[in-house]
Amino acid sequence: MNKKRLIILIFDVLVAAILGRLAVRGALNLLLGGTMFGGDFL
Amino acid sequence: MSAMKKTWREKALWGTIYAATFIVVFLTSAWAKLFWRPGGDRFAVDWNESVGTVVADLSYGKENANKFDLYLPADSSRETYGLVVYLHGGGFTGGDKRDDDKILKWLCSLGYVAAGVNYTLASETRPGVNVYTQSIEIRDSIARIVEESARFGRPIKEMSFGGGSAGGCLALLCAYRDGKDLPVPVKAVFEAVGPSCFYPEDWRCYGCDKNPNLAAAMFGYMLGERIDPETFGTEAYEEQIKKISALSWIDSSSPPTLCAYGVYDKIQPYAASRRLVAALKKNGVPFDDIVFEHSGHGLQNDSSQGALYARKIVEYLDRYMPLEPRL
Repeated sequence: MNKKRLIILIFDVLVAAILGRLAVRGALNLLLGGTMFGGDFL
Repeated sequence: MSAMKKTWREKALWGTIYAATFIVVFLTSAWAKLFWRPGGDRFAVDWNESVGTVVADLSYGKENANKFDLYLPADSSRETYGLVVYLHGGGFTGGDKRDDDKILKWLCSLGYVAAGVNYTLASETRPGVNVYTQSIEIRDSIARIVEESARFGRPIKEMSFGGGSAGGCLALLCAYRDGKDLPVPVKAVFEAVGPSCFYPEDWRCYGCDKNPNLAAAMFGYMLGERIDPETFGTEAYEEQIKKISALSWIDSSSPPTLCAYGVYDKIQPYAASRRLVAALKKNGVPFDDIVFEHSGHGLQNDSSQGALYARKIVEYLDRYMPLEPRL
């Protein structure tokens, strides 16, 4: 694995982790109300 | 040609690795967001016989749903006990006392007798059931809970109400409206996201501010009576809605109140909770108002405020319903 692929993989993991949390927060906000940012981390 | 094929195969492989990694991490992260609590579950108790026992499904009335679970602290050496009645949520149409098993066990672990009470749920097949009849069932359950607790060797001296959402509404109503008629004095009430009053202009989340007929239908269903939309804003409406509006019963003798509300609540409006806070302030009732600035009905985005709410419950019980010394 070269350096470029490793960087892409790390970026991939970070984006997926953030989007996973945001998706749950967004879904709950849609149902119950709430803001996307602020309060708990993501 | 073969070198080109190899490059394409490699690219496809890495594309698959990136996609699979993304899906796995995305799902794990979503799962962790839903179920993992970094600071631990604030109401979790290592429940065993040295903490307490549960006596389930004791009856208090003639309806099928008129059952309660009694959580008895293991320590039976006190002369009297404080009782905490915790009422489940579910929009008055759903939920069960077992949903609150964790918080009831936690309350019991603090040394109190705790009770989870079921009430008849409203539905199309039970047109006579409404918030008022539910509150009456709860009120009437207290004498039986006190009686049963004494039978199990934990005599009750005083009590507090607690609840969430619909349970919060019923807790406030029973504490303020019925407190003086109960067999033991109500020393405190704590609740989260429970509706305390019904003014169409507050209930914008359902469009009630723009549609008086909808407001009349909705509030009327909860009250179990027909409401004339023309009466909104009049004394006649205040008098009619009083039966299910906890706000209307607040006076200087109302029990100390701990409440928690989300600013962006889509189920019960935050604006209504400001009326509750104003009435408590006006009447000089001790209270704490915990605001979840980024959350809605689930109080889901402000963990630090959730932890504060739990700490405040302990503080309220300690201050207003302290444990009796052991014999």
